[in-house]
Amino acid sequence: MRIFDNLPHIDFMKYKARALSISWGIILICLVAAQPWKGSESHVKLGMQFTGGIDMQVRFKGDVQQDTVRAALGKGGLADAAVVSYGAPTGFRDYSIKVKARKGQDEKDSTAQINKIRNILRALDHTTSGDPRLDLNTESALALTDQWMKSNPLNIQGDETALRIAYEPLVKKIVDARDKSALLTSYSQLPSDLPKVLADLVQKNYRLGGLAFQKQESFSPSISGEWTRKTLTAVAWALGAIMIYVMLRFTWSFAVGGIVSLIHDILMAVGLFTLFGFEYSVPVVASFLILIGYSMADTIVVFDRIRENSHKPEYRRTTISQLVNDSINQTLSRTILTSLSVLFVAICLFVWGGPALRDLSFPLVIGVITGTYSSIYIASPVVVYWEKWFPRQDSLKQKHA
Amino acid sequence: MTKRSFWRLAVTLFICGVCAFFFLPLSKVRLGLDLKGGVHFELEVQSHEALEADLRDTADRLQDRLKEKGLADASVHLDGSPRPIGVRIEGVPADQKAVLEKVTGTFGGFDTNFDAQGALMVQKASYQKLLKEDAGKRALQIIENRVNQFGVAEPEITASGADGNRIVVELPGVGEAERERIKNLLSTPGRLEQRLKSKLDPTGYKGFPTREAALTFFKGQVPPNTELLPEPESERDLRRAGKDVAVKGKVEEKFKSWHLVETKVYVDGGDISDAHRAVNPTTDASEINFTLNRKGADDFSTLTGIASEEGRLISIVLDRKIVSNLSCKEKIPGGSVRVSGSFTKEDADDFALKLKSGAMRASMKFLEEKSMGPSLGADSIKSGVLAALLGFGTIIVGMLIYYKWSGLNAIVALTVNLIVMLGLLGSFNAVITLPGIAGFALTLGMAVDANILIFERIREELKNGKSVAGAIQTGFDRVFWTIVDSHVTQLFSAMLLFIFGTGPVKGFAVTLTVGIVASLFTSIYISRFIYDWILERHPGTKTLSV
Repeated sequence: MRIFDNLPHIDFMKYKARALSISWGIILICLVAAQPWKGSESHVKLGMQFTGGIDMQVRFKGDVQQDTVRAALGKGGLADAAVVSYGAPTGFRDYSIKVKARKGQDEKDSTAQINKIRNILRALDHTTSGDPRLDLNTESALALTDQWMKSNPLNIQGDETALRIAYEPLVKKIVDARDKSALLTSYSQLPSDLPKVLADLVQKNYRLGGLAFQKQESFSPSISGEWTRKTLTAVAWALGAIMIYVMLRFTWSFAVGGIVSLIHDILMAVGLFTLFGFEYSVPVVASFLILIGYSMADTIVVFDRIRENSHKPEYRRTTISQLVNDSINQTLSRTILTSLSVLFVAICLFVWGGPALRDLSFPLVIGVITGTYSSIYIASPVVVYWEKWFPRQDSLKQKHA
Repeated sequence: MTKRSFWRLAVTLFICGVCAFFFLPLSKVRLGLDLKGGVHFELEVQSHEALEADLRDTADRLQDRLKEKGLADASVHLDGSPRPIGVRIEGVPADQKAVLEKVTGTFGGFDTNFDAQGALMVQKASYQKLLKEDAGKRALQIIENRVNQFGVAEPEITASGADGNRIVVELPGVGEAERERIKNLLSTPGRLEQRLKSKLDPTGYKGFPTREAALTFFKGQVPPNTELLPEPESERDLRRAGKDVAVKGKVEEKFKSWHLVETKVYVDGGDISDAHRAVNPTTDASEINFTLNRKGADDFSTLTGIASEEGRLISIVLDRKIVSNLSCKEKIPGGSVRVSGSFTKEDADDFALKLKSGAMRASMKFLEEKSMGPSLGADSIKSGVLAALLGFGTIIVGMLIYYKWSGLNAIVALTVNLIVMLGLLGSFNAVITLPGIAGFALTLGMAVDANILIFERIREELKNGKSVAGAIQTGFDRVFWTIVDSHVTQLFSAMLLFIFGTGPVKGFAVTLTVGIVASLFTSIYISRFIYDWILERHPGTKTLSV
């Protein structure tokens, strides 16, 4: 099976001016729509790692409405909190709560703020209100082990080690059962092989609260600027290193073409990522770096063929456009195939990978598509233009692999 | 089988075997916090505090030394505001300059500028760097001690940051209940100092009611070599006043009095060799008992000597707050000390722990704090692995349909790739994170790219009329540099990711780097070997299933 039965003869370079203007046009539109120059008013959504602040994910049992959560936080003086509803299993409600750090806020404020949010949320959980018992759903494994080693309900003889050996596995069983859905909703969900005494004790001494803090992150504003700086430095270094490598292995024109196409891919992915309202986090930036590597690898396949062909006698007399065009056509089927293989994986991660991987794989989906396109329509035309504008004798044919 | 093929097979099997050894059984694979649940802190050592502490120490030592040399009138104090940057020496008569030069010369690490009044000593940049590094290392060690004594399984404590002043603490399986307590334990420096209450402060145990009152008494200016420190209201005081003790700790800390204390530290936490909580049999209150090392014991006996002779109070200062003012009837040798103050049982336990694990030279600032429930991780693993498998499955089916038997060749190469990747990850003791799973799937997708390049090239050469053996030969030769070039550029971005990222991102970078290296090996070595082997068994074959 093959994509093209005969070698395709598409005149790619004929449309290079049109292609260049369309794709840079899209980038411009994204830029205008996102309005990054407006600072915090812009449509660029930055994660808490970049701005500093609190990022929480909680799960409620029962029907706690998004508006209720928002109103309660607003009443507590946190009107700027962003509350987003997540898909949760039936019977539960999941929310993500984000509060940006204020200027000049230090760590003590953030601790106080976290506690405040937690208390507000706790007050919303009416499932066991007024019950003074400890909440089995929030006690940690360490705490439970400690409590039972002290009360020793199974009357185990021996020293502390013996007690620990006896209670730790039991606690682990309970915690594992709880972790299946983050919250135990009834005592019947306790593991059935729990000793009767302990099962009774749990029912008697512990309530089952309706709120779990699934994730809680807080970032000091003092390092938020650092992340932005780190990100930009990393991208700059990646571009620089790749440019130098391509220059050593190929020629100037290829290095420039490669870098222009990389910048194009990054801007396109960044623009669409912003336009679709995704949020920037550190893993997302990581996937942008991957995109750089991937897009360049794709471009190199085309470059390699151009270089190879430039040594062939039949291309001695042809124009550079012809040389580039033929090379693209010859590598077209492999360009499509290699892109498809990575694209499949990226799409699988995007569709089935869960919320955390969705943000991370979106730039990759975009990046693979634009990476392929840009190898043909950005990198190669730049090489053609560069060779036309700065003609050097046999410049394409000087370096040999 | 020829000798060459035999050796290539042996090499392949050997590598697979070694790699399998590193990741089997699968329980060896470690999951990151984002998958397992737990607490992550990133702390920054406030190294400028260590510099200040060193300046204070230097000033004290300098004063003593000058006294020994007969320059009792010289005043030594910290210079610079708001943060002290040097030690200023004043009141040295002009004819004693030589003595001053000699004394200051014994303090390494300082640049000294002499002027008409005396001298200004400033820490050298290299010395500051040393002090900062030392503070970082000390903090790391202390945090390790404290965390270990807290009893968390598999804690991960690593230094990070360019100056080594960042510390990342990862505690798997720690839940909500302990988070706050551990945070407190990590953030306070636990700096215990024993000093003398100044002679100029006539208030005794009682102290000044407020800072303002004390300042008015001293006419707005604290006398040199002394400072005002607060004493918090203790549980015992509250009980005596008939207030509810239980609310203590929930309300904001109240200071009952302020005392003027000498800045000179006689004994500090570094000299404490052991500390534990004890219960006072008469008052039933929690106390801290500690033992001092030899130097500490000597210093302590000097301190108690002065206190008993001059009838002055000893101030026990913990984290710049007075825990207790003690009177002392006689010189106490031996170095066994009991501190009774206003401790709850847990407070006393934590304080003893802090004392025992040594005193930090600088406090900590929390830059990042994350806690992750294990249920979230379980969901992530499920969907992440599902997505990765789906992607992988699609590629396998696609390769088989598109390249027929050569597709099988690619799949063998991919499988070896997978084994090598897992083995390399296992040998680094790498941690699998959620982005790491994504990285895994992606590298497999990219690894297959190398095979596609080779197969397409072989097809092209066959079409150009080359024999099967010739097509394979030229196919691999021509594509070799393309594959190397494209892998190297990807390696650049993966390595940068490693340098740039922390935590989950680092996990991502490691899997990618490993995947790229593995793919280079399998596509060039393994796939070639399989073709050569087939050619060997069917020499002169006219068709190749590709």
